[in-house]
Amino acid sequence: MQFRHRHGNSKYGLNIHRGDEISLASLPEGAKAIITHTIGGHCVVLRLSEMGLTPGSEIKLLRKCSFHGPIEVEVRGVSLAIGYGLAEKIFVQPVKKN
Amino acid sequence: MFNRQTKNTGTFNGTSDINTKVDKSKRSSELTVALAGNANVGKSAIFNQLTGLNQITGNWPGKTVERAEGTLHFNGRNIRVIDLPGTYSLSAYSIEEIVSRDYLAIEKPDIIINVVDASALERNLYLTLQLLELEVPLVIALNQMDFAAKKGLKIDVEKLSKVLNLKIIPTIATAGTGMTELLSTVITEATKEKKKITPLVYGKEIEERIQKIQTMVVSKLKELCTIYPARWIAIKLFEQDTDIVGKVVEYPEGQRVIEQVKALTSELEKVHGETAPVIMASERYTSASKLTKDTVTIETAPRISVEQKLATITTHKVIGYLILAGIVAIVFGVIFTGGTFLSELLETALSWSAEGIGELLSGVLPAAGVDLIVNGLLGGIAAGITIALPYIVPFYIILSLLEDSGYLPRAAFLMDNVMHKIGLHGKAFIPLLLGYGCSVPACIGCRIMETHRERLLAAFVVVLIPCAARTVVILGLVGQYVGLGAVIGIYVFNLLLVFALGRVAFKALPGEPVGLIMEMPDYKLPSAKTLILKTWSRTKDFVYVAFPIIIVGSLIVEGFALSGLMPYFVDVASPLMVGWLGLPAVTAIPLLFGILRKELTLVLLVTTLATVGLGITALSPVQMIVFALVVMIYIPCLATIAACKKEFGWKKALSIAAIDIALALVIGGIAFRVLSLFM
Repeated sequence: MQFRHRHGNSKYGLNIHRGDEISLASLPEGAKAIITHTIGGHCVVLRLSEMGLTPGSEIKLLRKCSFHGPIEVEVRGVSLAIGYGLAEKIFVQPVKKN
Repeated sequence: MFNRQTKNTGTFNGTSDINTKVDKSKRSSELTVALAGNANVGKSAIFNQLTGLNQITGNWPGKTVERAEGTLHFNGRNIRVIDLPGTYSLSAYSIEEIVSRDYLAIEKPDIIINVVDASALERNLYLTLQLLELEVPLVIALNQMDFAAKKGLKIDVEKLSKVLNLKIIPTIATAGTGMTELLSTVITEATKEKKKITPLVYGKEIEERIQKIQTMVVSKLKELCTIYPARWIAIKLFEQDTDIVGKVVEYPEGQRVIEQVKALTSELEKVHGETAPVIMASERYTSASKLTKDTVTIETAPRISVEQKLATITTHKVIGYLILAGIVAIVFGVIFTGGTFLSELLETALSWSAEGIGELLSGVLPAAGVDLIVNGLLGGIAAGITIALPYIVPFYIILSLLEDSGYLPRAAFLMDNVMHKIGLHGKAFIPLLLGYGCSVPACIGCRIMETHRERLLAAFVVVLIPCAARTVVILGLVGQYVGLGAVIGIYVFNLLLVFALGRVAFKALPGEPVGLIMEMPDYKLPSAKTLILKTWSRTKDFVYVAFPIIIVGSLIVEGFALSGLMPYFVDVASPLMVGWLGLPAVTAIPLLFGILRKELTLVLLVTTLATVGLGITALSPVQMIVFALVVMIYIPCLATIAACKKEFGWKKALSIAAIDIALALVIGGIAFRVLSLFM
């Protein structure tokens, strides 16, 4: 397993501070956010990015299932269901409403 | 419109002859066309439109688990069409991806039709960009234009075509729109002078490194370059693709190349703070995103449609589960009541005609011959018909409705939690549900799971689900003579058993569980035509696989009965049957032949009991339940073992069978003792 923690990502023009990032699993329903990074094994991170969950992409949380069930998000015009365990590995910065 | 020559190598008979290379010099008028694209974009629908075959379609990602092939005749040419399984990418992540890309790179079809979902352009272009890197001629079928329009999306096809330097044909496969144009474009593109393919150019820092690697590849891996394009090898090495790295290491200078590549990538990885494969994925998505932004305009603001409302309700925290429970109840209600009714009706009709034929034959043939034909051959056919029609057909109709509408992924979504308890994720719910129809497609359906470990785990539990044939035995014996309560008890017990065993297997098999990532397709209204075609196609497949086994099986049984060996076998099995399971000794015979087809056990139970002068009601309720339990668990039928063998090899298939036999005996013996206390 390989873990990486970063607190800034200049490449995607994001200005992320420690504390702003939360895991996708704790994002409320209906909220929009930008993916900052994903943690976990090589395979998991690659699989998530191939499905379009790359750092810098905007996602919208559509719904959550009860009892730590999967989470449905909209990314790149597609609805994806993501297991709770995986959602915990995806870190996002919520987009504040104007 | 087209003259078709069709050959079905669909999911069931599965002998895909894709590996036989076509000698192009001999068949200059023949073209090979491969369909590639994401899961659930309509590849199978286009395949069916082109070839006139009935490759099963459905609104859930991952249903084409095996390549299908068909041929058609168009403008004086024979065209072989190959439907590849849907993939999101061409990395070495899943077996399907490696198989697909090796097919494209090594077998080199004359042209690829990249089926792209117009309503989700950005995600689909991710694969297109990778296909371009394989440097095979490409035409895009921009499919599901109707859904894109419904979503209020307008796509500038001309502009997209210009930027990608590819021919793009808008299509609506379900309606057949754009098919002729697609075909003629495919032929002109495949036969004209090969034009230069313009692959994606990456960012400067990446491009420099790829160029460096490519120079190395060209000079040091000459042989590999005859198989794959040099730039593609360079990109895959840069991405640390396990499959390609494994191939490169085998070359004398391979190890050195890998080391040099590593130095180049780690440099960049430090700057980006991401691994090289993720950097590349981001780069490709950035390009796909830009392309989409440049060519797609949202004309009408998307409003909340009926489909979206339905999606919200069916995945609701409470209502969603209630709907799921309701649907499951309807499925079983229809199968149990409708199936039993139809089955009895057909059985009476068929037994009359069998008797008639028997009387006719008795004048011509000796008694043994009449028995062989009437009980063996005709009995076998009758058993097949009374199972196939009444139980399988309603199940497949309901299944088609569920899959065409797009409900299955929602069910998988809701069940993800539960499935995690046995180390699987929500998608495993789909083969599990298929298992209530027939274990064979369910076993093959386990391929929607990503890793080998998960497929094996899923198959292990799926074969324990009572299929239609076992349902017949449970309903015909326990339902008929003990009561519906006992039947429900057996089904609930079965579910508990599946979960308990799944959990044990999950703990016992080494490896990490994989989380769920699944596309949730939009709801669609199922069409009556595809519903009928699909049910027909599945029933036909079942008949092709099951009927020969049923008929041969009942001929063997009849022959065995005539040979006079039965009493010896009964004597040998007697301690186990009588002493442990508490069943009459002769029930060993139906259990032995039930391995061929499980519904045979019920027919044989009646006939073998008759040989010792007993009626079926001579069995006590406890004995009936024990018998049904043993039949439900004891071994997957021959066809299922064959399917397991195909998926996992002999060793694992036989292990599953052995575990199930042991389990059935243990449970049967315990059930006999425990139930005797109450009943």
